[in-house]
Amino acid sequence: MVVGARLRKAAAENPKKVAGLIDLVNLPSTLRDFVGQSQISQLGCFIKVWSYIKAHKLQDPRNKNVVNCDDKLKSILLGKPRVELLELPNLIKLHFPKVTK
Amino acid sequence: MGKIPASLRQSKLPLSLLKPSPSSSPKPSKNAPNPRLHRNPNRKNLPKTPPLPNKSFFHSPDLPQAIRTFDSLVSSKSFPLNQISQNALLQSFCSISGSSPSDSLSLLRHMSSSSPSFRPDHSSFHILLTHACSQPFDPSPTHIAPVHQVLDLMSSSTYRPNKASIDLAVRALCAAGREDDACRLFERWPAKYSHSPDRFTYNFLVRRLCRTREVSTVYKFIDSVRNSGGPVPDIVTYTILIDCVTQSKNLREATRLLTILNESGFKPDTYLYNTIMKGHCILNQGGEVIEVYRQMKENNVEPDLVTFNTLVFGLSKAGRVSEARNFLDKMAQMGHFPDTVTYTSLMNGMCKKGEALKAVELLKEMESKGCEPNECTYNTLLHGLCKSRDMEKSLELYGVMKEGKMKLESASCAVLMRALCREEKVAEAYEVFDYAVESKSLTDVVAYSALDRSLKWLKKMKGSS
Repeated sequence: MVVGARLRKAAAENPKKVAGLIDLVNLPSTLRDFVGQSQISQLGCFIKVWSYIKAHKLQDPRNKNVVNCDDKLKSILLGKPRVELLELPNLIKLHFPKVTK
Repeated sequence: MGKIPASLRQSKLPLSLLKPSPSSSPKPSKNAPNPRLHRNPNRKNLPKTPPLPNKSFFHSPDLPQAIRTFDSLVSSKSFPLNQISQNALLQSFCSISGSSPSDSLSLLRHMSSSSPSFRPDHSSFHILLTHACSQPFDPSPTHIAPVHQVLDLMSSSTYRPNKASIDLAVRALCAAGREDDACRLFERWPAKYSHSPDRFTYNFLVRRLCRTREVSTVYKFIDSVRNSGGPVPDIVTYTILIDCVTQSKNLREATRLLTILNESGFKPDTYLYNTIMKGHCILNQGGEVIEVYRQMKENNVEPDLVTFNTLVFGLSKAGRVSEARNFLDKMAQMGHFPDTVTYTSLMNGMCKKGEALKAVELLKEMESKGCEPNECTYNTLLHGLCKSRDMEKSLELYGVMKEGKMKLESASCAVLMRALCREEKVAEAYEVFDYAVESKSLTDVVAYSALDRSLKWLKKMKGSS
């Protein structure tokens, strides 16, 4: 409940942070090819990538926490062949401008 | 801690008592105790607004067209034109969105001149009055004019504005967010129509002001009504005020109000005591409820289900779970059977103490007594189990919730993700994220923030170990 309260607080007090998640951003060409749109938000991009992973069953069957990237995915995730799910949000964040404080 | 448990926010009863923060609950939670307020006897005296004819006769807010439609109805005689049906016609014109109050007034004039069987009565005027009052807020100074026009028309007829008129007007104005207009109308009413609005309307308005305005505005309103010869605060008013100030955690003001209340010679009733208990809960003095309960018994005030639910909630919040537990039997003996809310409050107390397994046992007990758990109950339990790091049971419960397509609350969702990350089950945390978004429990921003936070936390843990 503490976490929840903090979240709500974050949403209320830090509109910039939320905006950073949901603002549409013009995409660089690599990302544009992947998502098929010229604009997307950071959150939307995360959801797209995650559903791409699920749809193509890219999670390592032995360790679900790891993704074996296919070529398309590699192109947007720094060319890494294996990516931990743990790192996924951060890797996606790299494509988006930092929230200025 | 010390917040009102998120998991309790959507339940029905103590929540009415243990007021959630306004932003949290989608359902407007009812202000504590005053069902009395809703039962306005005026409503009964009111000539009932006739039911609408099945067919809607008017389709556009255009006046000339409406007049033509009405004339053709009069001439065709296929439609039984009596007082009630003509009022219904008037109502149907008013309910078209975009119809203006002056047009409906003209329609009334036209109807009374062209149809011999129609004479505007209280109903007709009240339809117009409600219509004029429900117009959305507009800052221009003339926007209150249509209301006065109708009232003036009434004053000049045999049907003078009565207590029902002011009640309707105030309620419609408040519903349209025009509280200031409602106050002005109310304050000037006694002088203008030489009778005072009744206390139901008064308390309605006070309660509405408490919700939407500063307390000082409410006090100003109360004073100016008193000076203009309107109603004076009664016990219901004081209950509303106490409820209002405790919600802003203003203990001193609440105490002052209680003193005034005693000095004015009002005898506290169950509602007032319930409100005081609720206040203690909000002010994190859950333990004090027992003292209030003692006073209630001393003064021979009969406790009700809400009283007991608040008691159980307050004691649970203060960590006095075993005492809270005892009240379950006590209340059953007095004929108030513990409901979902009672059990959920108690479970919440147990979970806070880290006795989540006991809470699960309580779930079985409540089910055996025929009391259905709700989403809140499950969220409370999930929260408790995750906190007490019982992963197996948490996942089992989560499975049950998923099967029942129950929604996750942000707190329990975040705790669950955190618990999964603790065991490095990142993929499962992602799955919870999917469920939270799919089941529309949380917006994707909230769900993503929770996920992101848990992942960051895990990374930090990994980095430091």
